[in-house]
Amino acid sequence: MTQTAEKPCRESDSVSRQIFHLTRKELRETLRDRRTIITLLAMPLLLYPLLGLGFRYMAVLNARAETPHVRLAFESEDEALWVKHVLETTDALRESSEIDDITDARLEFDFLVAEDGMTLPESLAGGYAELGIRISMTEPITRTGPRGRSVELIQVAGSSISQRASDEMERRLAAINVITLSDIVKDTYPEFNLPVTRKIETVEPVGKTSAILGLLPLVLLLMTVTGGVYPAIDLTAGERERNTLETLMALPVPHIRLLFAKYFAVITVTMLTGLMNLLAMSVTVYSLQLEGTLFGENGLTGLVLLKLFLVLVAFAIFFSAALLALTSSARSFKEAQAYLIPLLLLAIAPGFVILLPDWELTRMTAIVPIINVLMLARDLFQGTASPLLALAAVGTTLLYSSLFLFIAARIFGADAMLIGSRGQWRDLIDRPTEFARTPTAAAAGCLLACLFPVYFVSSGFLQRMADASIAQRLTASALLTIALFVGIPLLFAIWRRLRVLSTFRIANPASSVWPGVILLGLATWPCIFELVVLVESTGLQKLTEQNMDRIQALLDAWRQVPIWVVVVALGIVPGVCEEFFFRGFLFSGLRSRTNGLLTVLGTAITFGLFHVVLAGGAAPERLIPSTLMGLLLGWVSLRTGSMVTTAIMHGIHNSTLLIMAHKRDELANWTVTAAEQSHLPTTWIIASAIGIVVGVSWIWLTTRKSPT
Amino acid sequence: MNLLPSDNRDRNKPPLTDSATITSVRDIRQSVCYSESPFLRECHMIHVQKLTKRYSPTKLAVDELSFSVTSGEVYGLLGPNGAGKTTTLRMLLGLLPPTSGDARIEEHSIMNAPVEIKRRIGLVSASAGLYQWLTPREVLEYFGWGYGLKPDVIRRRTKELTDVMQIGDYLDQRCATLSTGQTQRVNLARALIHDPPVVLLDEPTRGLDVLGAQVIFDYAARLRQDGKAIIVCTHKLEEAERLCDRFGLLHRGRLQQEGTIEELRAATGEESLVEMFLKMIGPVKTEERIA
Repeated sequence: MTQTAEKPCRESDSVSRQIFHLTRKELRETLRDRRTIITLLAMPLLLYPLLGLGFRYMAVLNARAETPHVRLAFESEDEALWVKHVLETTDALRESSEIDDITDARLEFDFLVAEDGMTLPESLAGGYAELGIRISMTEPITRTGPRGRSVELIQVAGSSISQRASDEMERRLAAINVITLSDIVKDTYPEFNLPVTRKIETVEPVGKTSAILGLLPLVLLLMTVTGGVYPAIDLTAGERERNTLETLMALPVPHIRLLFAKYFAVITVTMLTGLMNLLAMSVTVYSLQLEGTLFGENGLTGLVLLKLFLVLVAFAIFFSAALLALTSSARSFKEAQAYLIPLLLLAIAPGFVILLPDWELTRMTAIVPIINVLMLARDLFQGTASPLLALAAVGTTLLYSSLFLFIAARIFGADAMLIGSRGQWRDLIDRPTEFARTPTAAAAGCLLACLFPVYFVSSGFLQRMADASIAQRLTASALLTIALFVGIPLLFAIWRRLRVLSTFRIANPASSVWPGVILLGLATWPCIFELVVLVESTGLQKLTEQNMDRIQALLDAWRQVPIWVVVVALGIVPGVCEEFFFRGFLFSGLRSRTNGLLTVLGTAITFGLFHVVLAGGAAPERLIPSTLMGLLLGWVSLRTGSMVTTAIMHGIHNSTLLIMAHKRDELANWTVTAAEQSHLPTTWIIASAIGIVVGVSWIWLTTRKSPT
Repeated sequence: MNLLPSDNRDRNKPPLTDSATITSVRDIRQSVCYSESPFLRECHMIHVQKLTKRYSPTKLAVDELSFSVTSGEVYGLLGPNGAGKTTTLRMLLGLLPPTSGDARIEEHSIMNAPVEIKRRIGLVSASAGLYQWLTPREVLEYFGWGYGLKPDVIRRRTKELTDVMQIGDYLDQRCATLSTGQTQRVNLARALIHDPPVVLLDEPTRGLDVLGAQVIFDYAARLRQDGKAIIVCTHKLEEAERLCDRFGLLHRGRLQQEGTIEELRAATGEESLVEMFLKMIGPVKTEERIA
């Protein structure tokens, strides 16, 4: 009689082997599926030869564009013969170096005579020729005799080739004139030479490669991603669809280990696809002799291929994690595909950024996901990649991958996914039948996703009100803030049947906390202000002279209205309304899903990001100070269990700052703002820091017994 | 003979069995285990105590459910759709966290030893699928590794289960090609690859023909002989009568009645489980009735 389960292997030696065997199953399952094989093998084999043929065709067109055939139209054969003679004469003169080497030798001319009844303009307009030439013929041309000719050039409007042919013809006719005059002068003065001679030389810019080359990293990386899409869906959403998820989750294996196995499988398939694409591309380039056209004189070397492969590895690691994070929450293939379309579009959009000439891999772009890897791939193709930036790009990509994997591990197999009626996206659309105390994290995220673009666009509208009076602008700003941060969340809460007081965390805190709250409201602004100045001084964002003038004009404009109007419109209203959303709705939504620390962190980062957006532009220097302010507000809200405290604190903070700005001249007279206007006096900073410490300690002590 | 009171307040104290009704070794073991001795209480392989699951303030799936199952006992957790059977099994498996209460498998609590709990349970669910591109042998191997078994144990268990479940003919055939009955046999083998002391059977005969269902019955009997504690969730009450030693009748998340079939008959005055159910549920809409 067996009373206990079979004994498992020792943990130390079983984990790696277990992951290996779990991965092997995932690979077996994926690689036996013909859909994976099609993506893995058939697509690269078909795509690259087709792309290669396309590239070759474009290269031929390119070559043709460099030595185009220009059709010259004449009214008579004599005129054509005269021009032909002019061309031959100038060619001969150029070869004997008697005239400047300024003619376009790559142009080739065909001569056409207009048919009866068709004028030259009609011929050109009908597309039969690129340039019309009409000549008044009186005498045949000779080398020396100055003979009067009137040459009329007729161009096709807006045609660059017609313009190029016309310019060429003008230069040649001018050369005929010059050499004729020169010969005449030389007859009298044999030692005569033209005072100025000209020569034009063209050089290829450094690093210039085919324009098509810019597309190659995008094609390569997108094709690589394509390989991971199907396995990612199959191994996550597929588990739900074929009802194997429950038995999988019943295994005594941590979720992260199961997910690692799936992750390794997706990476392997993605890498195999990448390798297959690289191989197919190399073979195509080699067989169609496109190395020179695409990669310059060095061609496609083994070293470039190796570097590209390493970039593909980084890209596969990143995208496999991103794919799993998305598909882990899907319950069917269809749902997963719907999630992936935006991701692929997101991947394509930055792909076009790298085609722009001004975008380079810098310290900033090296940390932007997707763009960094695409730029690195492009630089590797061009042979201009910097090792340090490459390392930064790959390093940050790996970091983002870890984050995605962590998210995927949290989502995959979560209890909500096992229960059909809960956690569906549809729940966000259908109006609930029952009242709830707080929004779900998904609902909070959904509202946030809607609010941010609305806020962004609204900020732009405010900027368009530059010509309105200051009173109108302040009123509009206040109304907009109320509508955005109170109106929309409130409507959302009503629609979702959320209890208003608990959703927005409107609660009466203990009266003992108020001294701390008010002190923090009064004391924080100098430190926050200094942080902004500090961030500016790091060079992240310098205030331009134009912006300084604008700020000065704004401050002067505020003086036209009573100070209380400015304080209400820009201090109290934003303070209260922003808290209504950030420490109210968003806070309660995140708190329903996660712990206090993560909630404070999440609301603070969102708060910081919102403050980067300014009317008519961005202010990245505000990100860190605003996020820190958000952390403080979040902590106070968490401790006091209410957004009312932070609304008051935020309002006091904004109002104090505005009053200080309004009274800055008076303060300057008291020499408290010092000669160096950008910095506050040290005493202010110290007082602010002490105020923050005392305020935080006060709140901590007064809420110690009943933390929320 | 005792039955649980309908308000379920005294569920933690299992009913004492009348000695006159003891007819087998299993019954003796059962009666011994129901005594209050802490030492003997360890005979309870599964001990569920006030287990509650609330999905939302208004949706209570399982309400303070308590019952125990001993080694070598088949416990039928019966109830109409939405009674909370599957939710209970998922909580026992650690797939869903309970809102309150606890359950123990041997000495391990589902609250703080989920991995140990999972090691001791084999789940057979009618809705469970198989990996279509793998063969049954690979499925068994995969789950063997999942349960942390050594390779030689996996091989031995695969051979044993292949013989018992008679899946040898299609052991190396892709799962996509198997019939419903064959799939269910492989599923049963998969759930038992680690030879667990506790087996949860969720609608084990759904979709099976008479012969297929008979295989499940035969194997359940064998598992009982081997001393496994088995919980069967089903709404096929005739099958439950054949298969189970004791029953827990669940309705709207609450345990309404518990006991052997004789005890239930005495308590309800009804002859069959179907009649007992209809009496328990009362006048309800047709769709709420058990199938």
